[in-house]
Parts: sequence; structure tokens; C-alpha cells
Amino acid sequence: MTSLGTPIQGVTLYSFTRAFHSRQYDLDGLIRKVAAEGFGPGLEVIGFSSLRGFPDRIDDNFVGQFRDLVAEVDLVPTSLAVNVDTGIRRDRLMNHDELVEYMRKQIEVAARLGFPIARVQISLTPDAMESLLPVAEKYGVTLALEVHADQHGAHERVLALRDRYEKLNSPLLGFTADWGATVTGFAPSLLEAYRRRGASEELLGQVVDLWNGFYVDGPPNTQKVHGERFGAFIGLAARNGRPDLGIDFAINGTGLFGPAPLDTWLEIMPWVRHVHGKFFGIDETGEEPSVPVRGLVRQLVENGYSGAISSEYEGWHWNKWQDPFDIIRGEQAVQRSAAANAGSAMVTDASEARRILNSHLAQPVRG
Amino acid sequence: MIADRMIEQGTLTTQDGRTAVEVRIPWYRALPGSCIAGAALTVDGVAAPEGSLRWTMNNRTFSFEELVDETGEWWFPLDSAVLSGDLPVPDSQTEHEVRVDLKLYIPYIITDHGVLHIEEHDTKTMKVAQR
Repeated sequence: MTSLGTPIQGVTLYSFTRAFHSRQYDLDGLIRKVAAEGFGPGLEVIGFSSLRGFPDRIDDNFVGQFRDLVAEVDLVPTSLAVNVDTGIRRDRLMNHDELVEYMRKQIEVAARLGFPIARVQISLTPDAMESLLPVAEKYGVTLALEVHADQHGAHERVLALRDRYEKLNSPLLGFTADWGATVTGFAPSLLEAYRRRGASEELLGQVVDLWNGFYVDGPPNTQKVHGERFGAFIGLAARNGRPDLGIDFAINGTGLFGPAPLDTWLEIMPWVRHVHGKFFGIDETGEEPSVPVRGLVRQLVENGYSGAISSEYEGWHWNKWQDPFDIIRGEQAVQRSAAANAGSAMVTDASEARRILNSHLAQPVRG
Repeated sequence: MIADRMIEQGTLTTQDGRTAVEVRIPWYRALPGSCIAGAALTVDGVAAPEGSLRWTMNNRTFSFEELVDETGEWWFPLDSAVLSGDLPVPDSQTEHEVRVDLKLYIPYIITDHGVLHIEEHDTKTMKVAQR
């Protein structure tokens, strides 16, 4: 029998995108705020969001300052989110060699900054992941490919990656599980945002019905089905005289609110090295109304998961009326309660988090 | 995404028939010049001619044609870029309606129809300053 996991509490700075973008906090101030609020010990950063000059112009002076700050406030770097910018050129997609070098530079920065994991993205094929394995080995960084809506744990592209991981049998290749793949409802806070943009209750009712229908039908297992669903949201908006909302309905309804059942995560659970605790809001009862946080934490605990969960608040896109720091505080309370209900506990002590993360991952970072 | 913050309030300037405004990225992460695919600058309903538009970031000024191949200079989320074009704006104490349209490619999202692009716009009202 698998022993119960003890997930490590943490947060990604992405949750505070509006506060950073508005210059309310600089990187130093935001990291200090996260530590002071007790949102750690786990700290996740997106390279291209938070680090000026990433990845080519990250000098040793900055690296030293970053490491000193993280040590001073006693946070634990978990994952540096890096991007697979295959479409950076206008004339063609990157070729294989360009892509490997583009990723290598970012993974090297992850190691230098002390992040044991680099979050990579779904446009990396099994062949590309195999080509990046020597890079992961060189820098001692685990590559955790993010499984994000509209994909999910049982999607054909994800299973192809899993099968290659199994063949390569390296502890440095795994997944980041994003909870947005297994959502149970269209987020009420987004419906409220549409209401504030003048959407009628009848239209919003139809949006919810359409999404609920996809939830009943199950997740899209192919890109073709995903495309059909995307188009259905656009058609619905047009038929209701609000074509301006169509793309927004479609992007959020398919790309943020994935309707896969929780058990799809079991397909890849042994390879899950990191988790994005994606969520969209906390309601007046203190619960997340559309992401089954309690069930997801229980599933991780019962499957022996002792990596980090980065709380990832995504409601900031549309919710300009609530404080993201209050919302993160609320969601992490739900996580801790859920872990306790499952007979375990979230790790909130930095020293314990370092010890547990080092045994969860294949090797400590060498950078 | 963060389109409501695109135009920096109070940054409209004009000199010798050229007008400029500071622009913030309506996206959560840095993008290179090659992903800044087009813009429009409109003041009081009059748009600057497309060919006259220039984009300044990191102390370098580009035409949109030059941005196409620019993968070395990046627009960081905390930095204001400057969008300028041929557009006379009378130097008066009246308020002007400024509109900026922006087309961005999102380089890590590849759809069945190619690299995803987003089109965002923002409108703000402000006075103009002589440079």
C-alpha cells in the first residue's frame, strides 16, 4: 500500500500578475510579500514574466541577489516555468535544433537560480523530450511538462509522452499536473465579469449549459473535438447578438476549464513531479466553487505525492474587484484542510520542504 | 488579458506633427519584437498613417517591418514602449480621446490555424503635452 503523501504548500508569482504588472510590487517586494504572508515555502516563478533579460541576460550578480533573497526569507524554489516558444519567428516554426538550444538556455538559468524543476510545455513532442534529456542531466534539473486544459491526463498527446518516459526510464522527465484540466463548472467569478460587461442572464445560462454538456460528454481526447467545442462557444455568442464575447467564451471555456474526471490523473500519477493548484476564486463559504480542490488534494495524498503544489490563481484575468492575496490565503486554507481530512498534512516548514523535495526529486540541483 | 492597462495615462505628447503615447504590454510575460505584429494609434477618431508608425522599446526605435525579424529585443512586462506616428494634435487644454490597437503573437500556443495571435485595444482620455 502506498504511504500517504505530504504535499508542499507554495505559490506561483503568476497569481499576482496584476499586482506586479501595475508596479505595485517589484520582484524583490513580491517575494518578500509571499514569504511574509506565509504563502510558501514553495516558490514558483515564470522566467519570461519576472526576470528581466531572461534567459540571455541573467548575470551572476542577479543570480546572487536572487539566491540571497530566497535564503533570507526562507522560501524554497520549486519550479521555474519556462516557455516553448516554437512560434517566435514569423516565417516558420523553430526547427528541432533551434528548439533544443532555446530550451537549454532557459534550463541553465533554472539551475543557476536554484530551481530543481523547469516547467515545460505541451508543444514538446516525445522526440523533443528525449533530445532534452541530456540537457536535464547536464544541469540536474527535472523537466516537468505541464498537462493543462484542453489536454488532460488521459489525452493522446499526454499518453504518448508518458509512454516515452516509461521507455527512457529517467527520473528527470515527468509532468506538472495543472488542476485546470479537471474542473467541475464554469467559474462563477467569470460569469460575474461577463454580467458586468452587459451579458444577459439568458446568455450566461446558455454558456453554463453548453459547458455542462461538455462535462457530461467528457474531455476532448483529440484536437479535432477540442476545435469543435471552441467553435460552439463562438457560435453561441454570435447567435445571441454578442459576437464580441465569443472568443473569450471559447478560450476560457475550453482552455481554462477542462472537463476531465479526476481519475484521468491516475494515468500519469507516477510521473507527476510538480502540481499547479490552478483555481479561479473562493466563494462566500470559503470554498472553490468550480475546481474540486479537496478531491484533488486527497487524490495526491492517497497516491503518495510529496512534491510541491503551487497555488495558481487565474481569476485575475477578469476579477478586478477582489484582492488576489486574500484569495490565495483562502485557497491554501482549503488545501490544508483537505490534506488533514485525508489523514496527512501540507508541508509549510521550509526545512522540512527542502528535505521532502530532495527525496521527491531525483537529484538536488547542482547550479 | 490586461488590456485596460495598455495606454499609460497622461503620456500623450506631440511635436512637429508627430504624436506619441506610452504603451504597456497587455500580456503576463515578455515578448520579442517579432511577436509585436501591428498597432494603430488614433486620437480623436483620426488614425496615424500605418507607414508612419514607429515602436520604441529598450531605447531602440523600429518600424513594424523591422520588428518582424527582431527576436533579440524583448518587451518586458514592467516596461513602457512608445508608439508614435504622424498625427497633428492641437496643443490645447482640451481632453483628447486616445485609442491604441495592438496585435500580438503568442509564440508558445500553436493552433490548427498557426501561431495564436491576440488583438487588444484600449481607449483613454487625456491632455497632450508638447515635447
